[in-house]
Amino acid sequence: MPQNAVFKNITTTNSSPSTSLCALCRGTKLLCGKSRCPVLVRYHSQNKLKPFLAAKMVHGASPPSVFVGRVGYPKVSIGPLVPPRMGNTSLYDAPEQWLDRSLDEIVDFRSSLIRGKHTVNVYDVEKSDKTIEFTRELGLSENCVFTEALFNKRPTGRLRFYDDIQPHGPSAPLKKMNITNPKYNQRIEKAYYDTDLKSAEAVFSLYKNNIEISKIQKAFSVGAFGIGKYRRFVPTRWSITAVDSQIGKQLMDYTKQLPWINTFRVYYHNQYDNRWIILMMPSEFQYELIEAWYPNTTWNQYGNTISMYNSYEFNEGRTTYADIGGCYYAGRLAVNETLQKDKRQAATVILREAHPGYIMPIGVWNVRESVRRTLKQPYQNFDTLQQSLVYIGQKLDIPMKRWIQNSALLKHRMFQTRLDDFTG
Amino acid sequence: MFNAKAKAEILKDLIDVTSPLVNEVKFNVSEKGINLRAVDPAHVAMVDLTIEKDAFDEFKADEMELGVDMDKFAGIMRLASSGDSISLTYDDKANRLVIQIGNLVRKMALIDTAGMPDPKMPTLELPGKVVVKASELIQGVRASEAISDHLAISMNKDNFELFAEGDTDTVNLSLSKDMLEGLTSNGDCKSLFSIDYLSNMIKPVKSSEPLTIHLGNDNPTRVEFAIANKKGHVTYLLAPRIESE
Repeated sequence: MPQNAVFKNITTTNSSPSTSLCALCRGTKLLCGKSRCPVLVRYHSQNKLKPFLAAKMVHGASPPSVFVGRVGYPKVSIGPLVPPRMGNTSLYDAPEQWLDRSLDEIVDFRSSLIRGKHTVNVYDVEKSDKTIEFTRELGLSENCVFTEALFNKRPTGRLRFYDDIQPHGPSAPLKKMNITNPKYNQRIEKAYYDTDLKSAEAVFSLYKNNIEISKIQKAFSVGAFGIGKYRRFVPTRWSITAVDSQIGKQLMDYTKQLPWINTFRVYYHNQYDNRWIILMMPSEFQYELIEAWYPNTTWNQYGNTISMYNSYEFNEGRTTYADIGGCYYAGRLAVNETLQKDKRQAATVILREAHPGYIMPIGVWNVRESVRRTLKQPYQNFDTLQQSLVYIGQKLDIPMKRWIQNSALLKHRMFQTRLDDFTG
Repeated sequence: MFNAKAKAEILKDLIDVTSPLVNEVKFNVSEKGINLRAVDPAHVAMVDLTIEKDAFDEFKADEMELGVDMDKFAGIMRLASSGDSISLTYDDKANRLVIQIGNLVRKMALIDTAGMPDPKMPTLELPGKVVVKASELIQGVRASEAISDHLAISMNKDNFELFAEGDTDTVNLSLSKDMLEGLTSNGDCKSLFSIDYLSNMIKPVKSSEPLTIHLGNDNPTRVEFAIANKKGHVTYLLAPRIESE
């Protein structure tokens, strides 16, 4: 290739897909604009796994973890996620504990989870089928469960990333599986055997009893909750948002009856090069999530400008699915947890600025846990919205004016008068 | 005592006007009819609704308050088809409203009205007044919905105008005095309003009915229209938006 062609390619970086640059860069120049090379991050974790993919079987301690696919619904692939490792692997499927790990570490242990696929109809939760039974048992267990999986062919596929679920490793059709010594979580087991308990109630009462969201969601996806005849497998990604949304909704009903906060509060936290600002305003409960993606971040690979998206609800709530998707509901849950702890309600706006160091999608849990962590930081108090916005302006790079233009709640607060203003 | 019988449409009108704003409403019942007044949780809009006794086929009542969960009431009224005659009776022993639709009897628990506010209607000096066919306004609001979240309503002594501006597009609806059913204005009036609220407000209005709009400068608007075959009246107050830049 003539040399000037190379330069020509480099100068057109902005409009051409970043993948074409990888050949020029090979992980050394970081031409894609990210702070680390995602190809190499993947490659290194894949390499560690290689020796284990030679055989048509895997055995190890499942964290425990299961996966329910959504392709082909209602005929979907269910099955275990098994790492070729023994010992305590519980961290591999406990997003609640991941925030202190680097992206590389998370990718590393997630990519070692090999997924077995067994195609079933989602309604067949009670069918007598060993794979269905064992998958369900994994979904209900709280200990690491020794799992053996025999495949029809060698597991293949790269590390899989999704927007809303945690990444996992290669997969293969299951021939047979076996598990030893699952130990059910007692409360989840109780809900499982109660076929008259509605799933919304089961989910919320487990949450109230301090069962981790990821555990509830896992059991939810294997069809463990709800009135007997309505039970079914729920694709993992749907189950995550179903649980977030359901718990959030029930918390919210209560939040809306609490007294307002007195001042404007601003929380700030930086996680994985995502800057999180949470602004709470003294008002009846309202909620909004605004995300700003820099070029070359996960969801803005090819653009050359920052893209911003928002979803919101005013006090009456919303009836349609949020455009932003699962993140919206994960954030709403976390916000309501804090309001409830403080016994207050507020109008809350989450501003998320995703900078180029956020190199790969890692799942909705990141929003839930990052918002939780942000709300654990000490907050700044302000008397007016103006003062809060000045402070936020110092923390974020995108000008406040642009945030306001993209925010329904801020616009409402700043530009919509109230009838009380005219009663004199 | 409260005992009334009405066509389903009359009650559906009442629900359409009220339920976009509030979930819980206090009906003030008297021998003259039903009145309610409610403010939305954000205190941006207020509705005052009266349905006269004549709108009902039968109406007997003492002065009393009924606390109604509007979502629930709307759900029950969905069981009725238009033309059905609905009977409403208050059961004071159980504090329930007994709703009879055909042969179906539905008893609905009422809410305690003790904590429910009695919003005051602010007195407003609004110099502009226009009477416009509802269909015109509905069309204007619908067109604006697609491009912006707020619109401007303005009038002077010869003209009534609705204007919305998006990033690239605009909507303009201009009606001169002779195209209107009435227009009085001392000088120019202009205020901005949220389209969400406006579109909820005009939803229950029949397109052939006239609408009266009172307008000031950066002041709330007062919109009045008839419901329940002209035997009911709605006054709707909406606080303005202020200029953003």
